Amino acid sequence: MNQTNTTNESKKSPGFWRHAWLRFRRKKLSMCALIVVLCLSLIAVCSPMIAGTKPIVCKYKGNLYFPCMAYFNPDWENPIFQKDRFRKRYPKNLKEKDPESWAIWPLIFQDPYRPVRDNEWGDRPGNPFNGGKPSSLNLFGTSKGKDVLAMMVHGTRIALLVGFVSTGIAAAIGIVVGAIAGYFGGWIDIIISRIIELVMCIPSIVLILALIAVIEKPTIWHMMAILGFTSWTGMARLTRAEFLKLKESEFVAAARSIGAGPFRIMFRHILPNSLAPVMVPIVFGIAAAIKVEAGLSLLGFGAPPPNPSWGTILNAGMTNYTEWWQIVFPGIAIFITILAYNLIGEGLQEATDPRLADPKD
Amino acid sequence: MTNSLRISFLFLSLTILIVTTGCSSDDTVSPDNGTSTTANTNNTDAAGPVTEGAATESVEYKFGDLVPEFTPPTLEEIEAIEAWTDKPVVDVYQLMEQRKENEVAMMTAAEVLAIRNNTPEDNDKIVSAMGTLAVDGDVDYSAEWNRHTAGDIKSTNPLMSSSTAEFDVSGLLNMSLFTFDWNFTPYGNSAAITSWKTSSDGLMDLITVRDDLTWSDGTPLTAFDVEFSYKVILTSAIPIPAVRSGTDQLKGVKAYNENTLVIFHNEPLATNIWNMLFPIIPKHKYESTIADDPTLATSPEHVELDENPVTAGAYTIEKRVRGQEIIVKRRDSYFMHNGEQVRRKPHFETVRFKIIENPNTALLAMKKGDLEEMMLTPEQWQSQTNDDDFYKFNTKSYALEWVYYYFGWNFRSPYFKDKRVRQAMSYAFNHQELLEKHRFGMDEASTGIFHRTSPWAPPEAPAAYQQDLDKAEDLLADAGWEDTDGDGILDNFVDLDVDFDGISEGRQRMPFEFTILTSNRPDRIAICELLQENLDQIGIRCNVKPVEFTALQDTMLEHKFHAVFAGWGTGADPDTSENLWTTKAIDNGRNYGCYSNPEIDKLFEQGKRELDIEKRRKVYQQIHLTLWEDQPYTWLYFRNAYYAFNKELRGYNYSPRGPYNYGPGESTIFKPAAMQ
Repeated sequence: MNQTNTTNESKKSPGFWRHAWLRFRRKKLSMCALIVVLCLSLIAVCSPMIAGTKPIVCKYKGNLYFPCMAYFNPDWENPIFQKDRFRKRYPKNLKEKDPESWAIWPLIFQDPYRPVRDNEWGDRPGNPFNGGKPSSLNLFGTSKGKDVLAMMVHGTRIALLVGFVSTGIAAAIGIVVGAIAGYFGGWIDIIISRIIELVMCIPSIVLILALIAVIEKPTIWHMMAILGFTSWTGMARLTRAEFLKLKESEFVAAARSIGAGPFRIMFRHILPNSLAPVMVPIVFGIAAAIKVEAGLSLLGFGAPPPNPSWGTILNAGMTNYTEWWQIVFPGIAIFITILAYNLIGEGLQEATDPRLADPKD
Repeated sequence: MTNSLRISFLFLSLTILIVTTGCSSDDTVSPDNGTSTTANTNNTDAAGPVTEGAATESVEYKFGDLVPEFTPPTLEEIEAIEAWTDKPVVDVYQLMEQRKENEVAMMTAAEVLAIRNNTPEDNDKIVSAMGTLAVDGDVDYSAEWNRHTAGDIKSTNPLMSSSTAEFDVSGLLNMSLFTFDWNFTPYGNSAAITSWKTSSDGLMDLITVRDDLTWSDGTPLTAFDVEFSYKVILTSAIPIPAVRSGTDQLKGVKAYNENTLVIFHNEPLATNIWNMLFPIIPKHKYESTIADDPTLATSPEHVELDENPVTAGAYTIEKRVRGQEIIVKRRDSYFMHNGEQVRRKPHFETVRFKIIENPNTALLAMKKGDLEEMMLTPEQWQSQTNDDDFYKFNTKSYALEWVYYYFGWNFRSPYFKDKRVRQAMSYAFNHQELLEKHRFGMDEASTGIFHRTSPWAPPEAPAAYQQDLDKAEDLLADAGWEDTDGDGILDNFVDLDVDFDGISEGRQRMPFEFTILTSNRPDRIAICELLQENLDQIGIRCNVKPVEFTALQDTMLEHKFHAVFAGWGTGADPDTSENLWTTKAIDNGRNYGCYSNPEIDKLFEQGKRELDIEKRRKVYQQIHLTLWEDQPYTWLYFRNAYYAFNKELRGYNYSPRGPYNYGPGESTIFKPAAMQ
C-alpha cells in the first residue's frame, strides 16, 4: 500500500504483499518450509489415495463408485457395498460379486483404522500384531497391527486440519475483537481488554479435558473449537495495538471525512494495513495448535479413536519402548511440521517488517 | 505365622473387585482411583454405591448409631446352649504345608532360576519350584523385601482402607479373626482365636479369642476391641469408605469378657462368615478421642495415630515418606509372648513398599534390583522381560486369575434391550483375534461369570462364542434391525431413553449408532476398536470413547452409557456377584447395565440361604447358565496374573486371586538364609 518506497519513478512499484513475497522468496529455509507444508497439505488431501483398503475408483455392476471417500466421511461410502455384504473388504468381494468389475487402488494397501488381515489382498500375509518392525509391507512398522505409515498419512489430515481450523477460529475472533477494541477505544476497549485477560487465564488443556469428559461423542472438531476459542487473545491484542496506531493516521481521517462508517473504515481501510503483524502469530498459532493436539493425543485425550492422529501413535508407543518405530516416525513428522510452520512464521515476520527490508529493494 | 497378615479384613462379603482400571501395574492409573483385586465392592473412593464416604460430613456424631436395635442374651443364657457346632480353626500356613507335601516340585529353585520362562512348561516348572515352602533354618529372618505399589496410601487405619495399596499395607499391620485358603474355604485364624462355634440355628457365632494377643504398644488385644471396632464401623458420622458393607449385615457383636466374643446374625446364611471379617482397631487408643474427631483423621491425636499406628498384626510402621515409600518392621511382641514363641515368626524383618506409578519405571527398577516384586502388564511380559537385564536379578511366572473382562450392554440403552441384539454383538466380535493377538494367546476365553475351574461353574462350561457375521446379521434382522433407508447403517424402531432413567420417551426409528466407554489405555482402546471394526462390517456404527477412570466410574453408576468395556475380579464367595446382577443392585450396587431378571434375583436369594454345599453349587451353576444365555455382557477373557519376582524370593504360590490375596498368601514368601 502506501508504505512502500519507490526508488525508480518510471517503474511501477510492487505492492506491499508482492514486496513481502519477493523478500520471503529469498529466504531459503522459509521457502523449504513452505514447500514442506504444501506437500503435507497435498498428502492430507490425497490421503485416501495414498494409503487405504478401499478403491479410489471402481466399476461395480455397471456403475462407478469412489469408496475411498469414506475415509473423509463414512457416509460417503455407497450403501450398495453394505447391502451386498462386502463387510468393508473390497479386493476379493469385488471380483467375487462382479467378475466384470475393475478398481484403481491406493498406492499402499494398508488401513489407518484397522490391521490388514491374512489373505485380504491376494495371499499377502496380514500385519504382524506385536513387535511389527518396519518391513517391506509395513514401511514404518505396525502399531497394534495397524500400519504406522497409513496412520501417519491419514494423521496428516488431522494435524493440518487442527492447525488451520483452530487458528482460523482464533484469528476470526481475535481480529474482530481486537479491531473493535482498538478502533472504538474508551470503555469498549477497557471492557474488551479485561475480557481478553479473563480468557487468557483459562488453561485450554484443562478446559479440553473437562469438555471431552462431558461430551457424549467428542470429535476432533470439538477440540479444534475449544483450541480456537481459547487462543485468540494474542491476536486480539496485536490487532488492537495496530488499530490504536492506525486510527490516528491520515488515510483514516480522509476516509472518515468523506463519510465512511466505522465498520467500513475498520475492515476496508485499517485491517489490510494492520494484517502483516497479525499474520505472524497466526502462523505460529498453527504450529502451537498442532503441538497441543499431539500432546493431548499423547495423553490419550486427543482425537477420539480410531482417528489416527500422530499423537495417538506416540501414545501407543509410550507403553512399549521397545517398539521404537511408533515413537520415532510420528515424532519426526510432528517435529518437521511444527518446525516448518515456525520457519514460515519467521520468514513472514522478516519479510513483512519494513525495518528489516533491504534498502536496495 | 503371618497367615493373618493381609488376609485380615480384605474379604468382606461383597468382595467383588472391579478391574475397570484395575490395579498396580495392570494399569497406568493410580490405584487410588481404581479398585483392585483386593478391593471390596465399595472400594472406589469416588463412587461407592453405598455412599457412606463423603456424604457423612453433616451427620451428627452418635457412636454406633447404625448398630441394629438388639438386646444380646446374657453370658449365662449363651453358656446354657448346648447345641454348638465346632468350626475349623486352623493355621493356613500349615494347610499350605500339607498341600505342598503332596506336590513334588519338578525342579529345584536353583535349577529353575537358570531357565527362562518362554513356554507354559517352563512356567509350570518355575511356579512349582518357586512355590516350595521354607524348611526350618533355611529362612533369612533379617531380610528386607522391596515391594512395588503403584500408589500411595491415604491412611494406615484399616477401617479407612479403600485402595489396593492401602489394603496391601494394612494387611501387614493387622490381625484378623478369620481367614480363608486358596479355595476360598473360610477358617478361624488360629493365630488369633482358639475356638469358633456356631449355634445350631446358625444365628450365633461363639468365638474364643486367644489371651496372648497384644497390640504393638503392649496392651492386650481382647474381644472388647472387636466389639468396639464393630461399633466404630457402624457409626454413620465416621467416613468408612469400604469395610462397612457386609459388616452392616450383622445383627450384633458382643464381647462378654476378654476372650469371649459372640457375633449375632439375622438369618442363618451361607454368607454369614464373610460379614465377620472386619478389621480391628485399638479401643484404648480411640475410645476417648473418637467423639472429638469422627473423621479419625484431623485431630492431633488421630494424626499421630495415623503416622504411628498401634497395630495388631505382625508389622508396625517404621517410616513413611509420602509419595515415595512405606516401610514396615516386624514386631517381636507379635510372635513372642512372655518370653515364649506363640505364633509363627514373620519371614521378613522389614517390608518396604516403593511407590512407583509408571509401570515402565517400575520395570526398570526391577531390572536394577531395586524392586523385588511387581505385577507385569501382558506387554511387559511379552516383550520387555526376556532380556539378560531382566533375568539378571529376576524371574517371572504367571497363573490363572479369575478376573474376567467383558463388553457390558446397558439394558436402558434403546439398542440392547433385546437378547438377540446382545447375542448378535457376541457373534459379531472377533474373539479369536482378541485372544491370539491382543492377549498374546496366553489368556483363556471367558465363558461366563465363573471360571471353569471354580466350584461354582457348571460342569459343562458353555462353548465360547466364535465370530459369525452372518449369524449376527440374521439375529439383528430377527430383532428388526435392517437398513431401511439405504444409508448403510441398520435402523429400527426403538424406545427412546435419552437420560437412561428406565422410562421411555416414545418410539422412534433410530440408526444403530452407539458409544462404548473404556478406560484410557491403549490396549483397552485397541480391543474396543476391534469391536468397532467388526460392527462396522455389519452396518453398526460404534464410537469408542476413552474416559478417565473416575469419570467412567461415575457414568457407569448413573447408568448413562450404552456399552462399556471393563472387568471384574472374583470375590471369595459366589454371593458377591449378587451385587452385579440382581435388580436391587441397579440402584445400590454395581449392576451398571441394569440387568434385571426375577429368576436371577430368586436364585441369588436361594444361594445365600442354601447351606448344603452341593445344592448351593447347583444354584450358582444355574445363575451362570442363565446369565450366559441372556448375554448381558459379551464375555471376553480371563486375565492371567503376571508377576516378576527377584531371584532371592521363594515360596510364592498363586491362588485365583493372584499370589497375595488369600491365606497364607504372601506370608509363605521368604529369602533363603543361604543367599546371604
